[in-house]
Amino acid sequence: MSIKEIAIVSGKGGTGKTSLIASMIPYFENLVMADCDVDAPDLNILLPETNVFEKDFVGLQRPAIDENLCTHCNLCVDHCHFHAISEGPEINLSKCEGCGVCEFVCPAKAITMQDYRVGKIFNSVTEFGEMVRARLIPGEETSGKLVAQVRSLALDIAKQKGRDWILIDGSPGIACNVISSLTGVQKAIVVIEPTVSGLHDLAKIHQLISSFSIEILIVINKADLSQEGLSSIEKYCSDNQLPIVLRIPFRRSMVEAIVNKCLPSLYDPDFFKEIGFEDFIGIVKS
Amino acid sequence: MIAVCAKSQGLDALVEERFGRAQYFVLFNEDNSEVAFIDNAAKHESGGAGGMAVRLLHDAQVDVVLVPELGPKAMDAIKAFEIKVYRYVDKKTVKETIEDYQNGLLKRLDDSTATSKSGLRRV
Amino acid sequence: MKKIAVLSGKGGTGKTTLATNLFITMGKGVLIDADVEEPNSHLFLKPNIQDTKVVKKKYPNVDQEKCNLCGACGDFCRYNAILPAKNKVLVFKELCHDCGGCQLVCQQNAITYKERAIGKISTGQLSNGLTMHYGDLTVGEVSGVPIIEQLHRMVEKEDWVWIDSPPGTSCTTVAALEGVDFALIVAEPTPFGLSDMKMVVELLEERNIDMAVVVNKAGLGDQELHDFCATKRIDVLAEIPFQKDYAAHYASGELLSVQFPEYKKIMEQILDRLLKKVGN
Repeated sequence: MSIKEIAIVSGKGGTGKTSLIASMIPYFENLVMADCDVDAPDLNILLPETNVFEKDFVGLQRPAIDENLCTHCNLCVDHCHFHAISEGPEINLSKCEGCGVCEFVCPAKAITMQDYRVGKIFNSVTEFGEMVRARLIPGEETSGKLVAQVRSLALDIAKQKGRDWILIDGSPGIACNVISSLTGVQKAIVVIEPTVSGLHDLAKIHQLISSFSIEILIVINKADLSQEGLSSIEKYCSDNQLPIVLRIPFRRSMVEAIVNKCLPSLYDPDFFKEIGFEDFIGIVKS
Repeated sequence: MIAVCAKSQGLDALVEERFGRAQYFVLFNEDNSEVAFIDNAAKHESGGAGGMAVRLLHDAQVDVVLVPELGPKAMDAIKAFEIKVYRYVDKKTVKETIEDYQNGLLKRLDDSTATSKSGLRRV
Repeated sequence: MKKIAVLSGKGGTGKTTLATNLFITMGKGVLIDADVEEPNSHLFLKPNIQDTKVVKKKYPNVDQEKCNLCGACGDFCRYNAILPAKNKVLVFKELCHDCGGCQLVCQQNAITYKERAIGKISTGQLSNGLTMHYGDLTVGEVSGVPIIEQLHRMVEKEDWVWIDSPPGTSCTTVAALEGVDFALIVAEPTPFGLSDMKMVVELLEERNIDMAVVVNKAGLGDQELHDFCATKRIDVLAEIPFQKDYAAHYASGELLSVQFPEYKKIMEQILDRLLKKVGN
């Protein structure tokens, strides 16, 4: 059978995306997990890993200046649109977008574009299946590409091991890394809180996902936080024909589970039974 | 030359569910039935995989490509390189999909399926 | 001028709540919402929007008459934004970073640049007369960095600037930190909160930006975060207890410092300690 990829995303962070995916994990038997939340890769905190392999992640290339050849003409400084080179010349890598213009304009051939490690990709084995995750060096960009590589590795592993499912912990937001988390998945689960900002964020991520042909499922976390907020989200969903497939009320045990580094659905199984979690899993798998 | 988006390297490979980030393109020469493949270098790009994949196909002298879907950018590129594009729906092998194409079962994709203003935006 | 960034490793820790309430409690300066993917401060501050500016970015325009289809632009572009095809050159403007490279390599002088909108910046006044600016990235655009840079330029002459930064440690966070004097990290005392905060600390250390921590939703989690701060000698300026009341008021878009005197007191305490650290 073909491998099914499901992404869990949220407009903003902190809505309980990782807690939800962690709770789903025990319900999938043939699973690979892809933690694409490269800014906050937290899934492994709850899942002890063995057989951890790591490899370097190279983003776009970055320039290196050969001091012996540089004539200090500063043409590179003048041409850099990203203000990443100051007179000297000195390169500020955190502003560099790796375009290669400095290398091209340098008359002395003192600048060469070189591979540059901006993060690491890890793959490991957990009790519930293989996991792929990544970590960027703080401040580095190209997380869109990193997400693409995490997914590609997860897919390779799923093929090798004959896995049926890939659960993707997507990045929050609406920019490149989120788009990379979503391309080609079968279903996207959007986790949202019933707050004024939650509604605002839902509208944005909905707009983004609807530009792909992906089935959207809505999960409302901390659903009892605000009746007003809940009603406005429910209205938005019914106006836009978005199915709300799960409502999770606020429960201290969810936080306690994380503090104790447990998967929430195993930590407080009664609560998950109460909220109809198995039905939710059924919808996700259908 | 026909190209098919594939998960591995030969006629028995399963077809892919994406174009720009397909693992491989299996190439089939209708004149002499020769089979080859391209390892799709575009799949690792952070952005613009579709356009780059089209360029790879053009360089391999492909004139027909069979795809599961096509983003608007890739569609623009396909048209600009004058490559014909047909869409498969079923997840079969490359061989079966080529047969479907030869039997006229695949739909040719035209302008109405994607415009550059809507649809997939790859990064 | 003092620039204070409020940031957090992950979203949802209460970054916007803290930034907006400190801003209101202080009653001076200006606030910029640099979380341009999900700007939320205006939902709480409710400014009366007086001005909206479109933020633009350049992209190449190819004169097909002059172009001889040599392919040099396509070979140069590392973003796949320009694609020389059989009879014309295609430009994918969303992919363009505006590096200027294609124009440089074009021997035919066939490339000029056009502008397109990638988002907007709204400026408004709060009911108490304070000003805020917030950026908003158009859905589907890849990077909010140009909008954040523009936000910084708009407040160059201000004495005191609060920055509601994007969560995480990506390129937009770095852009939000431009010229920042002090960073307030908001973190939850959970294993997730700590793990995410460590990355922010690393980012700030690398840039030599002084920092302090505000623990939000205290009482819900564990001790590890405090231990980390102690080892790193990072001051914890305040602990904001978790209260369902707070969460409910936040949910309806209300400012906690207006509703809860004890919350306002915590804000005053943070300001007091912050001013001692950065000077006035």
